[in-house]
Amino acid sequence: MSDDLIREMKGRDRVLAALRREPVDRTPVCNPTSVATVELMDLVDAPFPDANRDPELMARLAATGYTELGFDSIMPVFTIIQESSALGCKIQWEQKDNWPTVKMREPIWEDVDDINVPSDFLTHQDTKCVLDAISLLKKEYGDEVAIIGKTMGPWSLGYHCFGVEPFLLMSLDDPGKTHLALDRMKEATVEFGIAQIEAGADALTLPDHATGDLVSGEYYRRFLRDLHIELVERIPIPLIMHICGRTVDRMGYIAETGFAAFHYDSKNKPQESMEAVDGQISLVGNINNPETLFARGPEEVTGEVCRNLEHGIHMVGPECAVPLQASIENLKAIPQAVKDWHRTHAA
Amino acid sequence: MAELNDIANDFLKDEIEEFIERPNERTRIIDAFARATPAMQEISAALIDGDNGTVDTLTRAALDDGIEALEVMDDGLINGMSIVGIKFRENFIFVPEVLACARAMKAGMAHIEPILSASGIQPVGKVIMGTVKGDLHDIGKNLCIMMLRGAGFVVHDLGVDTSEDEFMDAVEEHEAPLVGMSALLTTTMPNMGKTIDAFIDNDMREDVKIMVGGASVTQEFADDMGADGTAEDAVGCVELANRLLVELKQEQEA
Repeated sequence: MSDDLIREMKGRDRVLAALRREPVDRTPVCNPTSVATVELMDLVDAPFPDANRDPELMARLAATGYTELGFDSIMPVFTIIQESSALGCKIQWEQKDNWPTVKMREPIWEDVDDINVPSDFLTHQDTKCVLDAISLLKKEYGDEVAIIGKTMGPWSLGYHCFGVEPFLLMSLDDPGKTHLALDRMKEATVEFGIAQIEAGADALTLPDHATGDLVSGEYYRRFLRDLHIELVERIPIPLIMHICGRTVDRMGYIAETGFAAFHYDSKNKPQESMEAVDGQISLVGNINNPETLFARGPEEVTGEVCRNLEHGIHMVGPECAVPLQASIENLKAIPQAVKDWHRTHAA
Repeated sequence: MAELNDIANDFLKDEIEEFIERPNERTRIIDAFARATPAMQEISAALIDGDNGTVDTLTRAALDDGIEALEVMDDGLINGMSIVGIKFRENFIFVPEVLACARAMKAGMAHIEPILSASGIQPVGKVIMGTVKGDLHDIGKNLCIMMLRGAGFVVHDLGVDTSEDEFMDAVEEHEAPLVGMSALLTTTMPNMGKTIDAFIDNDMREDVKIMVGGASVTQEFADDMGADGTAEDAVGCVELANRLLVELKQEQEA
């Protein structure tokens, strides 16, 4: 993808070009989920849980992805709870050393007719916080790096709002009702996505956790492929689909949707993943979190970065939200390894 | 050794033919079904099909006909779950289908459990299961519980966000020799080690075998935490639980 003749690009241009699968001066480094860590929280005095609810703290912590780590993107949405909180789910906010989580054992909806995107959805503290943080980041860093927002897909919202097991059982017992539920929930995805574009986002991550750990690739095709095509049509900005876990059996379907990129997990090998998407979308990932970024050192991080680059992965970054206890040293090793690799291969 | 044609139920024969590939499992399953009566085979088939209504009706009818509760559980429900587990492990089916089968198992067990507990029959083993402190994810844990119950274990589910004290209190209360801990988040995985340390500090570690699991848990991580084992999936969890029970018994007899 990189081209020696291309003049040096700014991070923002690099990311946006990679999302369009256009030539770049070097592979961008980007995490479409989160690079927040406890070390970074301490560094800029923006700890969890407040950094998920206060736009200034959120922006300050997110900016470290660029200012401290040297990534080409900034992602201020560290969790997957913002919309669900605004929809009415209960949240366990936790402390600095743990992510907030939706209390999925206390679902807010039982039936498709319960689905309701409240009128204050975009003015709720936890959605407005994201919009305000994006505006702040756009003002401060918008020319330099890509500001990436996040809007949750309806399948993930289904887990949060119906509970994982009731939602999955509904998909088997009554596929028609599930399609209807997804159709109604997707309005929250679109609404929040468009609001983030208006706030200044350059691209959006769209997590929709139809993972191979839970459902089949055929399930993705049946319930989500067409719906995702519609989301691509309605949200006019590059979208990065994110699904954790083993997903290679559905990457071909994902590649048909028109998403700009797929953020993929280390459970999928770079080569098989590149083959699965067959040049139709970009891939971003897939540095392992628990074993490499959390438990090992820069040398192992560099090894994984190089494996991705050797297979032509379009953007390199952690496979998902990085462990909060990961070291800055390990995270900084990612852009360093990318730059070194390109220097070596240009020589 | 029984043959596939010794099984009366065509649905079960098709299931075995299509989905059970490992020779040792094939032999074991064919033997088990061939020993079961056609009525029990029918319960297994309905369970594999995720048909809770039929399992409910057939189980009640079998008990009303005077068939022993233990036979209905072993030859009908547990035999059925053994095929479900293998299909899940091999990615022929996924979580929604397993949830439906587990719901069917539960429908059958609702008739059987009161009889077994009144008769004082000992379960295969007792297990305390919970997601560790700070973690609210439980689908993996719940799948393990379904498979353990499907294999005849009695499982006490402590739910999510479980403290060290809650694990220890449950072991004491239920006199359980096995503990299973689950965590999905990298932030909460270390709490498995903290809970194991609490068992050590309270002189309870020798009394129990401890399993850990979760999407990111590896054997190396389980060893670092001081656990007795981990498994890749819910079927592996049952195999591990059986192995650890034998180990614990041998240690206590030594």
